Amino acid sequence: MSYGKFTTPAKNARGLGSAKSGTEHHIRQRVSAIALIFLVPWFMFSIINAMGAGMEAAQAWAGQPLNAILLILTAGAAIFHMRLGMQVVIEDYIEKTGTRSTLLILNSFACIALFVTVALSVLKLWIGAGA
Amino acid sequence: MVQLTLPKGSAPKKGKTWPKPQGATNLRQFKIYRYSPEEGGNPRWDVYWVDMDRAGTMILDVLLYIKNNIDPTLAFRRSCREGVCGSCAMNIAGQNTIACTKGFDELPGGVITIAPLPSQPVVKDLIPDLTNFYAQHAYVQPFLKTVTPEPEKEWKQSEEDREELNGLYECILCASCTTSCPSYWWNGDKYLGPAALLQAYRWLIDSRDEATGERLDDLEDPFKLYRCHTIMNCAQVCPKGLNPAKAIAKIKHMMVERVS
Repeated sequence: MSYGKFTTPAKNARGLGSAKSGTEHHIRQRVSAIALIFLVPWFMFSIINAMGAGMEAAQAWAGQPLNAILLILTAGAAIFHMRLGMQVVIEDYIEKTGTRSTLLILNSFACIALFVTVALSVLKLWIGAGA
Repeated sequence: MVQLTLPKGSAPKKGKTWPKPQGATNLRQFKIYRYSPEEGGNPRWDVYWVDMDRAGTMILDVLLYIKNNIDPTLAFRRSCREGVCGSCAMNIAGQNTIACTKGFDELPGGVITIAPLPSQPVVKDLIPDLTNFYAQHAYVQPFLKTVTPEPEKEWKQSEEDREELNGLYECILCASCTTSCPSYWWNGDKYLGPAALLQAYRWLIDSRDEATGERLDDLEDPFKLYRCHTIMNCAQVCPKGLNPAKAIAKIKHMMVERVS
């Protein structure tokens, strides 16, 4: 928010006041980062192992219960963490309130859509493997 | 707001090259930012040749040499000339610092550029307008706040509690840290910046202060506090060797502590 030329410095510094929020965002970002410290190495290791074994072997691997659970958890933590990070980038660089709000909403939509797609794909392999 | 280019009329152009001092053998070239609101037009880079045998040992000495011997119109702030007042903060060879404690021997080779602190409006030459910076410092209410009736003599503090303030109370409010912070460049109207937050923490952990909760309330904001992305420029440039980024991290810890 910017004001006209006769506003006092204190008016600008105080702005709209403290939002009394942000700590929850900070905690979520750190906690999802901690989860990713464990999940990402497992995911990378598994992907590298699965490479070259062919499509069917990879599908069978993803269909095993433990792998499916960890895959969904990895995608969940990563996409959740990405949404928080993208939110900060948008807040940092986009000043116009309308544009910023639009991008923040799109960010949420895109991340949720991405997670649902990944989760359902893995579930399909899991359920398909048990059939 | 991110501005990848300078606003119209703000890009410095090539300026005047001032004559070399007569009879000097140890010359060094300085490129100094000049802007005069009376003259208008774009700022410019003026080139000065300084006789290093006669210019003292610090960058402030160079500026005084130029002002006394070459160009009396060069404007800059200075007062204590010993790293206590913070007036002569400026950007020297690409790094914010105070001119009075920056020695020649710390400088890189080649031409030395001297510019005002980045991202702030320029009043004249090397003098930035720090109005917003001071208002943000006032926002954190940098003074003792209590509800207990004042003791007859003094508010007591243990030696250990006093030690907590070391590395914080030394801040001279020169604004080197705040104006070196990219997050402050983009969102300086809303983000309080490293200097104000270091001062905020200095009062948050003062054992005598009774307004810790209210102070945290006033800071808990996605922009006022959480724009710090631990870029660490603040700690890198602080001429007093303080670490504002660490103070900000500790404020974030306090925020977490009171919700979990």
